[in-house]
Amino acid sequence: MKVRLRAVLSLPLILLLAGSIRLADATDLKDTISNLYGGQGILLEPLPLPFPSQESRFQASSLQGLDQLNTQLTSAIGVPSFNSSVGGFLFDIERGVPVQTTESLGPLLTERATTLGARKLDLTFTYTRVNFTKLQGKDLNDLELVFLRGDANGNGIIDTSGPFSFESDVIRATLSVDLTEDIIALIATYGLTAEWDVGFVVPVTHIRFIAKSQAAIFDQFGNPGGTKVGDIPIHQFGSNSNCNPPVIPPSSTATCNASGGGNETGLGDIVLRTKYNFLRHYDDLIPDMAFLVELKLPTGDEGALLGTGGTNVTGLIVASKTYARWFTPHVNLGYEIDTKDTRESAIRYALGFDARLLPELTLAAGIIGRAKPNGTGTGDHIVDLSLGVKWNPIKSLILRTNVQIPLDKNSGLRADFIPTVGIEYLF
Amino acid sequence: MPILTARILRLLSTVWLLGAVASFPLPGEAANIVALKGADVDVYDEALDGFKSVASRAQVSQYDMEGDLQRGKRFLARLKSGPKPDLILAIGIWALQVVVEEIRDIPVVFAMVLNPSTVIGQEARNITGASMNVPIEQQIALLKKASPQARRIGVIYDPSKTGFLIKQAERIARDQGVRLLPKAIASPKDSFAALDAMQGEIDALWILPDVTVLAPESVQYMLLFSFRNGIPLLGLSENQARMGALFGLSFGSGRDIGIQAGEIANEILSGRRAEEIPFTTARRLRLTVNLKTAGKLGLQVPKEILDRADVVIR
Repeated sequence: MKVRLRAVLSLPLILLLAGSIRLADATDLKDTISNLYGGQGILLEPLPLPFPSQESRFQASSLQGLDQLNTQLTSAIGVPSFNSSVGGFLFDIERGVPVQTTESLGPLLTERATTLGARKLDLTFTYTRVNFTKLQGKDLNDLELVFLRGDANGNGIIDTSGPFSFESDVIRATLSVDLTEDIIALIATYGLTAEWDVGFVVPVTHIRFIAKSQAAIFDQFGNPGGTKVGDIPIHQFGSNSNCNPPVIPPSSTATCNASGGGNETGLGDIVLRTKYNFLRHYDDLIPDMAFLVELKLPTGDEGALLGTGGTNVTGLIVASKTYARWFTPHVNLGYEIDTKDTRESAIRYALGFDARLLPELTLAAGIIGRAKPNGTGTGDHIVDLSLGVKWNPIKSLILRTNVQIPLDKNSGLRADFIPTVGIEYLF
Repeated sequence: MPILTARILRLLSTVWLLGAVASFPLPGEAANIVALKGADVDVYDEALDGFKSVASRAQVSQYDMEGDLQRGKRFLARLKSGPKPDLILAIGIWALQVVVEEIRDIPVVFAMVLNPSTVIGQEARNITGASMNVPIEQQIALLKKASPQARRIGVIYDPSKTGFLIKQAERIARDQGVRLLPKAIASPKDSFAALDAMQGEIDALWILPDVTVLAPESVQYMLLFSFRNGIPLLGLSENQARMGALFGLSFGSGRDIGIQAGEIANEILSGRRAEEIPFTTARRLRLTVNLKTAGKLGLQVPKEILDRADVVIR
């Protein structure tokens, strides 16, 4: 037991070591989209004299557009949900018999009020794959940004006719974003007393963030190339536009491609957690109640998108009750405070059940939600359906798998589904 | 012929002595004890810790049945096929059930079992142990102390489950100068009529550790009866006191019961036979007093009771 425990407990150290290895180049993955086109927005080719320079006319709007998209994408990448474990038996003092609390093997992503039990240790390894496909309902492979030119003649409007009609030219950038996360997490829970659990989640994340953009200039009527004076386009890409492949006038200057990003692997944000089961009833309909506190630490490299860069504190009230020794509905409600950006603070809720269909097989289902009262407009209310099974083939070993399905893909950065597999052992 | 008879007798007595010596560990030799745990429950682990702290000269190996009686039986079958342990410790009712069925020739000590005589038949002479029953004397004394004018204590029970307890309780109540008014029930729904029939007839109500009586609807009705009639209710646990019983009286801790079982094991390992040692009841108790209930009942709980209470609900 001791040797096994030592081996198991050394795993967090291995994971921490693994977390310190960065595989990508020095540029922050977090600024991938902002850094398209050299990180200074889209610069154009200076026009030959006597024309005034148009070099930086789209710089401000392109910088703003790219930065906004960058923030929308990167702030929405978070740590997936992990739940703690529940134990096997409680003791019914009045009847003098153990009562099996894991008539089901417990929920997968939501919480139950019951705890693990004194001096019990539960270790779980999970692997989660998140392939993001939508941002605010838009396909990540087909995002479009439109950059407007500034007012040239200072009349306060964008002219659509006359000599300054070129103010109506736009740059349309079509972006394709490949954003995936592979997360291996070690979840440990230890029962300090029969009612009090402590634990942690150590995630190691591999993130892939590749963005490709194709920018093109159009006039107000949608004609490629924009407004021209004779044959000379007023706005054109050039050598300082940081296109890839480079655009060198007088060859085709109406489109400009760019790409960036890479892969990062490392330690994510570690979560410390504790749960106290303050109300437990054996007979009546009153649910068992617990209070759960989570502290998410900024251990993941924010620049590498491995962490959020802030400390989050969550308090959750958990209620659950097992009926007929096999069916356990549960409700979680609480608030998560993001100390770095209070706009990201969110009400967290979950409603679900787990049911033991066979002695070794439990089905778990739940609705998991997160609503930001003062959100930024991106992912202010996210609701997922979680479906999964736990299988107990031998003794204290549990194999688990579940899938998280967004119920509203128009809010936030979403995947079509998030599969998780895991293995759990109770010592 | 008399010489031959004497020789035979001497030989027989030598064999008997050798057998007796061989069946118990020699001084200095650690006894081999197998602890069979009914399920993985904290309080059973506490009991095992308490047992080990007393039976410190024994080597105790443990096996967890994980709540599966068949698993327990299979384990005991394997155990019987090899070298026999000096003693088996059965922790919890499930462990005791399988040991009663499977083991006849190894001394057995149980711990953390409620109403053990419902499991152990008269013929099982190799089994004794530490029950978690609260001594009836102390329960009746507590009710008398809380309500000195109480002369009639009502109790409902299922004769097939706790008939034996009622027999003991009637005698003990008589000795303490009170009268027990037992009403037999066969199912939880009978409890309503049984309690209604006691209206105006009793000064206190007592909940027995009886699975029929402990059905949620029966317990709820007893709580209601206590409030409606302004009489104290003695429950079995802190949980019941929190639900509204005036008192909850239960065993002190798993460790205490384990220590009691360890002391019994030591006696057996020292040569005393299991059948000579009666089952014990809990030596240390845990008392919960609900003062909110006392207020509603118009009762003043004596300071002596409050001083010894482990939990006071205010």
